[in-house]
Amino acid sequence: MNMETPAVTRIQFNVRDLLVKYGFIAVTLILFLLFFTTQDTFRLSTTFFSMLKFTSVVAITGLGITLSMAVGGLDLSVGAVAGMSVTLSAMTMVIYNQTGIVAVGIVLLAGAVIGAVNAFLIVVLKIPDLLATLASMFTVMGLKLVPVNGQSVSSGMILRDGSTARGKFTDAFLKMDTGKVGPIPYPVILFFVLTLITWFFLTRTKWGRAMYAVGSNPEAARLAGVRVKRYRALAYILSGILASISGLILASRIGQGDISAGNSLLLDSVAVALVGTSVLGLGRPNAWGTALGAFLMGVVITGLTIAGFPYYGQDVVKGLVLLLALIFSFTLSRKKSRFVPAV
Amino acid sequence: MRGKNALTVIVGISALLLAACSQGGTTSSAADAGTTEAATATMPAPFDAGPVKIALVQNSGAGDYFQQWTNGANLQAKAIGFDMQTYDAQADNAKQATDMETAIGSGVKGIIVDHGNADTMCPGINKAVAAGIAVVVYDVDIRKCAPTAVFTSQSDESLASLVLAQAATDLGKDKTVGYVNVLGIAPLDRRHVIWEQVKKDNNWTEKFFVGKFTNSVATDNAQLADAALKKNPGVAGIFAPYDELAKGTISAIYQNNLQAKVKVYGIDISNADIEIMTKADSPWTATAGTDPNAIGAGVVRAMALQLAGQLNKTEVSFPGVLITAQFLKDNAIKNMTDLRAKLPELNLTKEVTADWIPTVAFN
Repeated sequence: MNMETPAVTRIQFNVRDLLVKYGFIAVTLILFLLFFTTQDTFRLSTTFFSMLKFTSVVAITGLGITLSMAVGGLDLSVGAVAGMSVTLSAMTMVIYNQTGIVAVGIVLLAGAVIGAVNAFLIVVLKIPDLLATLASMFTVMGLKLVPVNGQSVSSGMILRDGSTARGKFTDAFLKMDTGKVGPIPYPVILFFVLTLITWFFLTRTKWGRAMYAVGSNPEAARLAGVRVKRYRALAYILSGILASISGLILASRIGQGDISAGNSLLLDSVAVALVGTSVLGLGRPNAWGTALGAFLMGVVITGLTIAGFPYYGQDVVKGLVLLLALIFSFTLSRKKSRFVPAV
Repeated sequence: MRGKNALTVIVGISALLLAACSQGGTTSSAADAGTTEAATATMPAPFDAGPVKIALVQNSGAGDYFQQWTNGANLQAKAIGFDMQTYDAQADNAKQATDMETAIGSGVKGIIVDHGNADTMCPGINKAVAAGIAVVVYDVDIRKCAPTAVFTSQSDESLASLVLAQAATDLGKDKTVGYVNVLGIAPLDRRHVIWEQVKKDNNWTEKFFVGKFTNSVATDNAQLADAALKKNPGVAGIFAPYDELAKGTISAIYQNNLQAKVKVYGIDISNADIEIMTKADSPWTATAGTDPNAIGAGVVRAMALQLAGQLNKTEVSFPGVLITAQFLKDNAIKNMTDLRAKLPELNLTKEVTADWIPTVAFN
């Protein structure tokens, strides 16, 4: 009896480690294969690419969340920043009759500015991350509506002075969402490239490693000579820029200054970044994990839609998948996961 | 302490998001089972060779109205023998655009687009038409940007004309009237055009014109109507061409105890509306409405005709039906189910159909 016990324990340990390491990837694969074998429409390459395209917005915003989580915070303003980018793009082109390039420039700048304001609130005014970005979320959501009187901006709209808007969404701007290289849509390429850059930055540069150090133990990082404040500020500025990039894709996709755009983005992107922490048992926010999390969400939503599931059923499945990933990284993992923001 | 604070913040955000999502006050009715009237002719191509695949690309399938609309569409699709794939964007315009792409790529013969932004949906609609897919659009005005697709809508002109004709009969000429409406919203603008015409024809004097569109239309407009009525208690009738506006107007009338003097003419009908109209002293005299189930079914029939090459037009509008409070009371109508039974015109079974189409009715 005594001889057998260690052997049994070892096998259990192995299963547990395997689950922690590959459980999440296995869930993604199983769901993908399930839809692939049962749903004809799911097998089409056009479905695959429109799924990735739909996912890219959440994924890119999720990368921003990943950065803020890496420094031990959480950026709640990302959805609001993306929504603001949609309205700003529309204002620049439709009301002020500027080109698409100008709109892109203004939107990226605005994203960086909101990120910098968040950084100022957190680093200089010492407001806890969640509360600071919550405040800026509401402020940005309201602020974007002021110049447009709370209305969606569309070509040919009547302006406040009674004249008709002269501009429209330029073809080049609309191309950002509809353009393709071979069968691959531009947003999907952008999604891949930004994931690659974020991954490289976080794991292969000293700045990225410093960010993780700040996130896991700011005091130790400070004593080791890391400029904690600068890294936290940088994370929020990059998060703002990434959110404004996804806002640009949204604007290009919707083709008007839809004021409701970006509303659902915050919760989805927090979810994919959280799910991503469990990939390969890393137990920390990481770029490929976030990308895979977004991919899984895309598989779930597209697959269930094609299978004829109602929208509330999709939310139930989304919630359960998130729960499963959290069990992998909190309950089963022996590593101490630390990415829940401090207030 | 730290964990507790984070939790508080998250619970708080969730509550805020929930509050932002919940609005609207119409009573939900269960999905209505339809009855199908058998076709009297054999089906033309492409329906003679097994189920025809189509897609329904919806902006939102949630809520009382959309639920009934989708129910009607599903039942009619089943009766015709469509294999219909539904995409519900959950009111996310960007998702509706990618859903449209998925639908185009999925090899369907036809796509029905239900609500959405014209700017967002037009590129996809044109792409589908160019790929040889039949496209029928409901309530997205794509007549300018996608003129080759079929545009269907509920006829706001007919709704306003019906109810205002009743008002003209009840009130007579040369009266003072009030008006509660919000301009800048397409269907309300179309109803406004009819109001201006009827007002002129009957030589009515408009004593007040108030109204605003908010998250709680009925409550907020009750205040406005209340102020307007305090200043002009002598009006004979008020036109409020949307049921939430009518509800607000009616609560203002009760507040000022004018229910015996002022008649209200509204538009739209629901279980909640019927309850208000059938109260003994209700000022709501008449309304005009459509059955969302029947409209959904009608749009699917338009798709069937278009695929068979028999529609021969790019604009279809579904007429409304006049419903008076007297009619509701005389027939002891308590809800939409009773109403459909007593007013079969709501089923639109004679609109947009052919002898080979098994038409669905709801009662």
